Amino acid sequence: MATLIQQIINGLSLGSVYALIAVGYSLVYSILLFSNFAHGGFLVIGGYFCYGSLRLLGAGIWTAGALALIGAGFAAVLTERLAYRPIRERTNVTLYLLIASMGMNIVIENIFVIIVGGRFRALPPVIPTTPVSVMGLATTSAFDLISLLSAVVFLGALQLFLSKTRWGLAIRAAAYDLRTAGLMGVNVNLLISIVFFVAGFLAAVGGIFLSVRYTLYPQLGAITIKAFVAAVIGGLGSLPGAVIGSLILGLAEMLTAGFISSQMRDLVVFSLLVITLLVKPTGLFGKSVSEKV
Amino acid sequence: MTTEREPLLEVKDLRVSYGAIRALSGVSLKVYEGEIVSVIGSNGAGKSTLMNAIMGMVRREAGEVRLSGSLLDSRSYRVVQQGVSLSPEGRKVFAPLTVLENLRMGAFPRGGQGSIGEDLEWVFTLFPRLKERIGQYAGTLSGGEQQMLAIGRALMSRPRVLLLDEPSLGLAPIIIKDIFKELRLINNEGVTILLVEQNARQALLLSDRGYVLQTGEMVMDGPSQELLANPEIKAAYLGAGGEKAIRSVKH
Ligand SMILES: Nc1ncnc2c1ncn2[C@@H]1O[C@H](COP(=O)(O)OP(=O)(O)OP(=O)(O)O)[C@@H](O)[C@H]1O
Ligand SMILES: [Mg+2]
Repeated sequence: MATLIQQIINGLSLGSVYALIAVGYSLVYSILLFSNFAHGGFLVIGGYFCYGSLRLLGAGIWTAGALALIGAGFAAVLTERLAYRPIRERTNVTLYLLIASMGMNIVIENIFVIIVGGRFRALPPVIPTTPVSVMGLATTSAFDLISLLSAVVFLGALQLFLSKTRWGLAIRAAAYDLRTAGLMGVNVNLLISIVFFVAGFLAAVGGIFLSVRYTLYPQLGAITIKAFVAAVIGGLGSLPGAVIGSLILGLAEMLTAGFISSQMRDLVVFSLLVITLLVKPTGLFGKSVSEKV
Repeated sequence: MTTEREPLLEVKDLRVSYGAIRALSGVSLKVYEGEIVSVIGSNGAGKSTLMNAIMGMVRREAGEVRLSGSLLDSRSYRVVQQGVSLSPEGRKVFAPLTVLENLRMGAFPRGGQGSIGEDLEWVFTLFPRLKERIGQYAGTLSGGEQQMLAIGRALMSRPRVLLLDEPSLGLAPIIIKDIFKELRLINNEGVTILLVEQNARQALLLSDRGYVLQTGEMVMDGPSQELLANPEIKAAYLGAGGEKAIRSVKH
C-alpha cells in the first residue's frame, strides 16, 4: 500500500513535468500544425541557463530559475524567427517546418556540446530532496512534491492566461483558424512569438526539474519524446489532453517501475502510444481532422 | 465630375496573382463616405481576392489601396487598426469560442482601451438573436446566426469601412432579407459598406452604386438602379426571375 501511494505521487510528479513540456508542444502544434522537435532544445537551454546562473553567477535558485525560464523563452522565440518564419512566409507545407525543427534540435544540442562539453553535470542541491511523510501513509521526497506543486502553479497560470487575457483569447482563436485571427487585427507574427515564448518558458521549468532528477547533459532534450507521446495520447493540439496524457504516462511509468521492473518503463510508454493510435488515432481529446478547416 | 470628392476607400490598378494565375488585372474602384457599394461577379471573378487584397490577406502585386487618401498598410492587422474590417466569405466564425468571445476577438485591435460594452450593446441591438445566444459556441449556431455573428464581429473594431464577402451565401431568402435590412441600418449609422456578391439582385437593390467584376477586370460600373435595368447585366447576372422582375418595370 505504501509503495502504491509512493509510486502514485512519484508518477504524478514525473507526469506533471511531462505536462509542462507537452503543453508547449501542443500549443505550438495547435497554431502552426507541426510537431516542433526543437522543443527538447528549449528544455536543455533552460537547464544550462539555470546551471550557469547557479555556478558562474552564484545566483540563488529563484534568480537562476527566472533567468532560465526567460532565457529559454527568448531562445524559443529566436528559433522561430530564424528557422521557422522564413519557411512559413514561403509555404503552407508544414512538413518543411517539421524538418527544420529536427535540424534546429541538432543545432541546439551541438552548440552545447561545443560550448560546455558533453559530460553530465549535476545541479547544485538547490531543490531539497529530503524524505517527506505523506500523512503517515507513505514516504516520498520533497523534490517530487515541489515539482508537482510547481507544475500545478505554472499550468494554472497558463490556463488563466489563456482564458482571461486578450492575447490568450487570440491564441485560442488562432488555434482554430490562424488566418481569420489575423483578419481580426491580431499581429500573427507577434502571436506566434508569444506562443513560442510560453512554450520555451514552460519547457525550461520542466528542464530544471529533469536536470535535478537525471543530471544535465546536451541530449537531455531527448526526453521530450515522452512528452510528445503524452501529447499524442492526449490529442495533439489539445491542452487538457496534453496534461491528462502526461499524467497517465507518468503514472504508468512509475507504477511499472514500482511493481514490475524499471526496465519495462519505456516498453509500457510506447505500448500506450501504439494502443492509442490503434484505438483512437486523434488521441483522447483530439480534434477530428474534419473539424479543422 | 468637376469637383472630385475624395473617396473614403480607393482601389487603384490593383493586380493580384496566385503563382502564374492572374486573379485581378488592374482593378480600380472608389467608395465614398456613407455609401453602400456593391461588386457583383460570378464564380471565380476575383471578388474574394479583391476583398482579401484590400485587407492585406493576399499580396498586392501592383496598384494601391487608400483610405481617406493615405495608403492602407499591407499587413492585415494594421489595416484593421486603420479602420477597415471584413466579414469574410464562408463567415469563418471561431467555432470553439462562444458568441461573446467571437465578438471580443472583433474588438481585439482596440486593445485594453475603453470598454467594449457600448459596442456589444450596438451589435446586440442590430442582431438581438446574438444576445440570446451570447454563451453558445459559435460552431453550434445556424448559418444565418453565424453570418450575423461574422458581421457583428467585424463591426466590433468600429470600422470606417465594412467589407462584406457574400453575406448571402448559403442562406434562405428570408434570412437574406433580414440581414440586408440590418446592413441598411448599419449604413444609416455611419458605416460605409463595400459588398461583394454573387446574388446580384439583392446586392444592387441594397447599394447606391455597383461595379461588375469579370475574370479579374471591372467591366462596368454605375448607379445600382441603372445596372439593375441594364439588359446585359440582366442577362448575365440577374437570371430568368430577375429579367421578369425588371421587365415589368420597363415599357
Ligand atoms: N489560393 C489560391 N490559389 C490559387 N488560385 C486561387 C486562389 N484563390 C483564388 N484563386 C483563383 O483566383 C480566381 C479568383 O478567385 P476568387 O476566390 O477571388 O473568386 P470569387 O469571385 O470570390 O469567386 P466565388 O464567387 O466563387 O467566391 C479564381 O480563378 C480562383 O481559382
Ligand atoms: Mg469569393
